[in-house]
Amino acid sequence: MKLTKFLTSAAVGLALASPSFADVKFGSLYPISGPLALLGEESARGLELAVDEINAAGGIQGEQVVLERGDAVDNNQATGEARRLISLVGVKAIFGTYSSARVIAASQVSELAGVPYFELGAVADEVTGRGLTYLFRTNPTAANMGKDSIEMLANAIAPGLGKDPKDLKIGIIYEDSSYGTSVAGHQDAHAKDAGLNVVLKSGYPANTVDMSSLVLELREKGVDVVLQTSYQNDSVLFLQQANEAGYKPLAIIGGGGGYSMQPTADAVGHDVIEGVYDVDFTQFEVNQEATPGLDKFVEAYKAKYGTEPRSGHSLNNYVGAKAVLEALDKSEGFEPDQIVAAVKAIDVAEGTTAAGYGIKFDETNQNERASMMGMQWQDGKLVTVYPEGAAVAEMRFAE
Amino acid sequence: MTTFLQVLLNGLMLGGLFAIVAIGLTLIFGIVKVVNFAHGEFLMAGMFVTWLITTRLGLHPYASVIIVVPMMFLLGALTQRVLIQPLMSAEDDHVQIFATVGLSTAMINLALLIFGADIANTPNFGLRTPIEIGPVRVLSGQLYIFIAAIILVAALQLFLKNSQTGRAIRAVAQHRVAAELMGVNVPRIYILSFGLGAACVGLAAVLIAPLYPTSSNIGTYFVLTAFVVVVLGGLGSIPGAFFGALVIGLVDSLSGFYIGSDLREAVVFGIFLLILILKPSGLFGKRMTLSHLS
Amino acid sequence: MSISDIHSQTGMNTRSIGWPQVAFGVLLASLLLIPLGIDNAFVSHVFITICLFAALSTAWNIVGGFAGQLSLGHAVFYGIGGYTGVILFNLGVTPWIGMFVGAAVAAVVGMVISYPCFRLKGPFYTLASIAFLEVIRVLSLHFKDMTGGATGMMIDLRLGWTWMVFRERWPSLLIVFGMLLITLAVAWAIRRSRLGFYLVATRERESAARAAGVRTVRVRLVAVAISSALCAMLGTFHAMYLTYIEPAAMFSLAFSIQIAMFALIGGIGTVAGPLLGAALLVPITEWARASLGASALGLHGFVYGIVLIAFVLFMPNGIMGAIRRFARNGGKAAVEPGQTETGPIVAPANAVAAPDPDRPGIGQDILKVENLNKRFGGLHVTRDVNFTLREGEVLGLIGPNGAGKTTLFNMISGFMTPDEGKVSLRGVDGQFHQPTNPADFAALGMGRTFQIVQPFAAMTVEENIMVGAFYRHHDERDAREAARETAWRMGLGPLLNAEARGLTIGGLKRLEVARVMAMQPRVLLLDEVMAGINQTDVRRAIDLMLSIRDTGVSIIAIEHVMQAVMSLSDRVIVLASGEVIAEGRPQDVVRDPHVVEAYLGKEFAHAHA
Repeated sequence: MKLTKFLTSAAVGLALASPSFADVKFGSLYPISGPLALLGEESARGLELAVDEINAAGGIQGEQVVLERGDAVDNNQATGEARRLISLVGVKAIFGTYSSARVIAASQVSELAGVPYFELGAVADEVTGRGLTYLFRTNPTAANMGKDSIEMLANAIAPGLGKDPKDLKIGIIYEDSSYGTSVAGHQDAHAKDAGLNVVLKSGYPANTVDMSSLVLELREKGVDVVLQTSYQNDSVLFLQQANEAGYKPLAIIGGGGGYSMQPTADAVGHDVIEGVYDVDFTQFEVNQEATPGLDKFVEAYKAKYGTEPRSGHSLNNYVGAKAVLEALDKSEGFEPDQIVAAVKAIDVAEGTTAAGYGIKFDETNQNERASMMGMQWQDGKLVTVYPEGAAVAEMRFAE
Repeated sequence: MTTFLQVLLNGLMLGGLFAIVAIGLTLIFGIVKVVNFAHGEFLMAGMFVTWLITTRLGLHPYASVIIVVPMMFLLGALTQRVLIQPLMSAEDDHVQIFATVGLSTAMINLALLIFGADIANTPNFGLRTPIEIGPVRVLSGQLYIFIAAIILVAALQLFLKNSQTGRAIRAVAQHRVAAELMGVNVPRIYILSFGLGAACVGLAAVLIAPLYPTSSNIGTYFVLTAFVVVVLGGLGSIPGAFFGALVIGLVDSLSGFYIGSDLREAVVFGIFLLILILKPSGLFGKRMTLSHLS
Repeated sequence: MSISDIHSQTGMNTRSIGWPQVAFGVLLASLLLIPLGIDNAFVSHVFITICLFAALSTAWNIVGGFAGQLSLGHAVFYGIGGYTGVILFNLGVTPWIGMFVGAAVAAVVGMVISYPCFRLKGPFYTLASIAFLEVIRVLSLHFKDMTGGATGMMIDLRLGWTWMVFRERWPSLLIVFGMLLITLAVAWAIRRSRLGFYLVATRERESAARAAGVRTVRVRLVAVAISSALCAMLGTFHAMYLTYIEPAAMFSLAFSIQIAMFALIGGIGTVAGPLLGAALLVPITEWARASLGASALGLHGFVYGIVLIAFVLFMPNGIMGAIRRFARNGGKAAVEPGQTETGPIVAPANAVAAPDPDRPGIGQDILKVENLNKRFGGLHVTRDVNFTLREGEVLGLIGPNGAGKTTLFNMISGFMTPDEGKVSLRGVDGQFHQPTNPADFAALGMGRTFQIVQPFAAMTVEENIMVGAFYRHHDERDAREAARETAWRMGLGPLLNAEARGLTIGGLKRLEVARVMAMQPRVLLLDEVMAGINQTDVRRAIDLMLSIRDTGVSIIAIEHVMQAVMSLSDRVIVLASGEVIAEGRPQDVVRDPHVVEAYLGKEFAHAHA
């Protein structure tokens, strides 16, 4: 059939169109179309900047790194693109992927093919919880987010409010996709471990247009501290509707997503978001003594893309990719087992990367040194307030 | 007790919101007999235009009504003329449904292409000011939506009852062939009705934009709920759509509070299915409409 | 859809092989051979996706196309298959078994949710299907213990044929290709079987189908069960292929729409259409995503939407429709509905049976109508109607317009339930039964026509009659044979391959009778079969009815053509304002002053008294 012939020739053409043979090829697998495209693209930029930097410094093992892009728009497509990258392009490893569902689907393929997969941004536990040999994750996860938000609450916010953390009534609300669900699960578990009092845990669909019932429920139960894990739309809705209902908890702690984005603050109004906390990947308003190389990254980003970084996703992808690529430079070659051996040896200390956290993989191939930072919206800006070493401003508290 | 009242009031306001979105849909559904899956995207388009006018020109969002409503009327009329009318003769409605699904897909992605994936936030010009009514409170913008919905229902009823064109529209809605024999220009009435339905959703867009963040996929949430409302209210019945919307608003609000926020969609659609199965003429339908029963 | 040509779908039931068959075969084979030949994982993946979507779409088409119920919630069944497969897999059950468990669950769920929805037509059914999808998706998010909630479920990577998980791509390709073949075979078999005819007949005109003895709800339930079971099996396969499932992906509205869209673009209601649609669109989608996706957010989706609109506007019957049109103009021979299987069309020797001089005569009671009452609101449509019909008798039913004749017919054929009274029909067992629905009436040998003719417009004359003939014959070939024989007897022989929508009113009335006759009824209800036909046709119709009567069939005929009433009826009943006002031999009844009054008014009756 003509069509299939066309397809075949196109596929073969793609394979042959790749640049010079002295290069080493890696896959860059992100959702770059569809609903996740914006942050998928932002994440991919971090990887590209890391590759640029490595190439400028002479590449790895003397070879220039070439990225082959794949588009993980849905799960079926993610597995398809992973197969294309592995079998058609012949990449030595895949980097990605921002969305947990996509990396889970795609890495099942790479695992079977025995190709290393480096996850730089997805947060769900299941990514590294499956006992895969060739999958590594550099970024902090839902577990970190859950743990760090509870720790920040218990160690910094509660004392600042002059309260015993055990006296605070905690409400956990979350959008009910895998992101919100897994973060909320960890928050709940950590809070209970710390003996805190969780009075409400409730999910809702992220595309909701009304959260007033939830706000009323929180108020009714006298919740003092709200932990919300959400995307942008629902962050805006919750903050607005809570404000309008006259519901003012002692603290609102956001879990990344919408809470880390400037448009959210602009949308709800800077007075409304003032004082709201946020736990997320390292952002840009941070003490650079804890995050050496951050301004260099921002400069490179501006030079290449002409704008400020749109979120911390690029930074975290950059840090993870850079550490992995530097390790591969020391590797014997690009065989899967050589790559695995090289990255297992990575030992980057805390406070030496642009994101602040160190990198060392534990037995599940998760970066055990990954952590998140605590931030707060102050005067319309998201500034880092926790831990103290990374803080650029004092934490503020509700009266 | 206060909380319960607040939940009820929130439900009513939500009902007003659903009503103003669904009125246009019930016009199109009831008269042209086309399931317009792109209805939510009409809303989205109207909201984006409102956002543009408000942010670029610095006008009060409500002022954009003079541009958005005529624009949406044209968009609706054009949709009927170019997309639906050639398919009216098709032997079943599969193709019309697919046509509007295609339009919906194209519009969502066009918005993504033009405005990106970020949310667009229309300045609210004080429309988010809470108004205290006794122990409960409500947003001024929500209240305006509710009032606007009532006025729109009344105006449309008057128009359909008393004007020449309105009578022609009702004639076409009741019996297309008979109306045609009576000399009514049916294609023109269809174009007019579709335009009118779209204009209504244009009005809805102007009123909703200051209260909710606009994004390319905001329509998808509203459209399914709007269909629920239309079926609940009875095919083509405008007051029915209004009361149907209030019912769904209350159900949504109450189930969100008493059952759980993650299950409220299941409750709303569950009720929808029950109505479809048990009383397909709708809660407020006076008699069985033969058009949807075998 | 005007999927008229049941026979020319890919022309598969003609024995002569034309180019469409060859092309279809080549396409099918290339789906397997190209990826095996190239032996590249990505190419295999694309072809696996094609086969998967083609199979899903083909399965959808059984409900969406054949039965005409536009479901946009079919991902429910796919998802059920996926989840059942994964849950059982993790309990140590091989997906080869899980597949059938999933299919059984999906079939049951399909029937349970469809049963109440079949009353709904067109867009309402579509909306209900979407609502079910949403409810099930929300529930699958909520019940985390079973489904893993939003984070989804994974399978352990156990390799091998037992677990349907492979390192290489070709075993998956073989499996999905095999499933595609099975799905196509099922669709093809349904299409040309009794079930297929019944589904299309139900889609075209539900009441006529019911009169032909079709248990319309049952056949559609069977279609839904088959369709959902196939989708579920494909879902199990795909879950094993992806090794990871989550509610958002498994119960997705976009996915459901995509399945239906491939069928639309290929040609809804055809056997080959969904495959063509998927084979064309999947590669284009992949290509568009690769070349447009990265450059601009949303561009690819925008193009996708526009393509869909363009197809709907310019090719609403899909690729198959275009091919047919082309073939009709170009390669006429290939799609000429030859139906060579049952031999060429020849008139049987006794084309029109001559009236039998030794008619068996009138026998014992076969139908008893007792005290029938029916009210529509305040209107008393029939009032204490009593009469009996005897075997081999022709009973004329006359009365002015609005007398309740058609309502009476509706009650004695099961289309309407009387408020009071009963209708008893003697079965072949000699016992009287009181059936309650059209199918039960048909089972006892009741056949009826409609006052307003109800042909299956998109079918040919032969196929129309076959719908009736299937009542007695389960095999398609026998039914076709019987249909032809009936057609010749009814004088429709030369029109066998004409589409019903092209017939004259006289032709349609004859077709209506022919369809009923093909059921070989014992009692025949004829509702104004002579209205609006010309004098010659009336004469022929009278002969026809006499010849039917001579075979021992009892007839009740509503008729306004007095010539026919007088020459045909053994007995006449006159109905006025819902009451029997006269009964007796035709020549006596027409002289009855009550009758004259009822027909012509009081003054007229008095003037002539």
